[in-house]
Amino acid sequence: MTAADASDELSDDALLRLYANGDRRAAAELTTRLAPRVYGVAMRVMNSHAEAEDVTQEAMLRLWKMAPDWQPGAAKVSTWLYRVAMNLCIDRKRRARGGHVDLDAVPEPPDQGQSAAERMQETARQDALQGALMRLPERQRQAVVLRHLEELSNPEIAAIMEITVEAVESLTARGKRALAAALAGRRAELGYSDG
Amino acid sequence: MDKADPNTHGREDPADLAHVYELFATARAARPALPVHLAAAILDDAAAQQPDGTVAALAPRNTREGFGRWRHLLNAVGGWPAFGGFAMASAAGLWLGLSPPSFIPDPVVLAGLDADSQRMPFDGYEMAMVLSEDMQ
Repeated sequence: MTAADASDELSDDALLRLYANGDRRAAAELTTRLAPRVYGVAMRVMNSHAEAEDVTQEAMLRLWKMAPDWQPGAAKVSTWLYRVAMNLCIDRKRRARGGHVDLDAVPEPPDQGQSAAERMQETARQDALQGALMRLPERQRQAVVLRHLEELSNPEIAAIMEITVEAVESLTARGKRALAAALAGRRAELGYSDG
Repeated sequence: MDKADPNTHGREDPADLAHVYELFATARAARPALPVHLAAAILDDAAAQQPDGTVAALAPRNTREGFGRWRHLLNAVGGWPAFGGFAMASAAGLWLGLSPPSFIPDPVVLAGLDADSQRMPFDGYEMAMVLSEDMQ
């Protein structure tokens, strides 16, 4: 078994303890595991590469600072990190817009017409979804992203958002209905067949 | 494509949401990659914040320091191999002193002393008398 194989098998808890004990490879492994997930969520929630990068770096920085005091088993490291990232996103939104989501700032999905290029079609689909996500209220967007893009369980989302599982269910259900309404009539445009 | 979300207790018609689930699947298949410069910045932060290895130690800090002093002493005499030789030599000396083999001459005789306890300069009683006189 190689050292890389061994680190693959370690839990996030164990890696965080190794990091706190001075193991630099543990920091690299944790970054590889966790940072892309945080960045992906932040991108979906903030709709800005620059903001997502800032949120990701700040969330990971807080992870490094917290490492010596981490209590293994008290919570999942990823759950804690998602929670920090979501709170950072909310703080940035509030600071930027005085507590209100500015719908005018949300980019409209590009009108791709009838492009035959597969790549362009995929981009159009992602833009359509992102545009619709950005029209959701903040908490609905977070819940939908965590549930359907990160594929986390409802109890884990509840822990991240510090709400009940029932509240998560309600947020995701309303969010999906709103997305369906926002995207209604665009199936053909986005290259999906009916039925 | 996603199945209908079981956590919503069937309040939604999966057919109405099929398009949304297809878009979720497309988005999951194309997660944004972590920019290289961001990964480098995160690792720089990690190196800057990394403790020196004693903060999160499993054992209490003072216990580790005490053990560290013994380790320094052990290293000063040559480590565990030297300590092992030292222990073996001590055991052999103790054995020779308590039960010397017959072919080894008596060190008392070699030193020119008489082993007769009656002729020792101070046996237990006389030593006590000398000491009591000194005290007066």
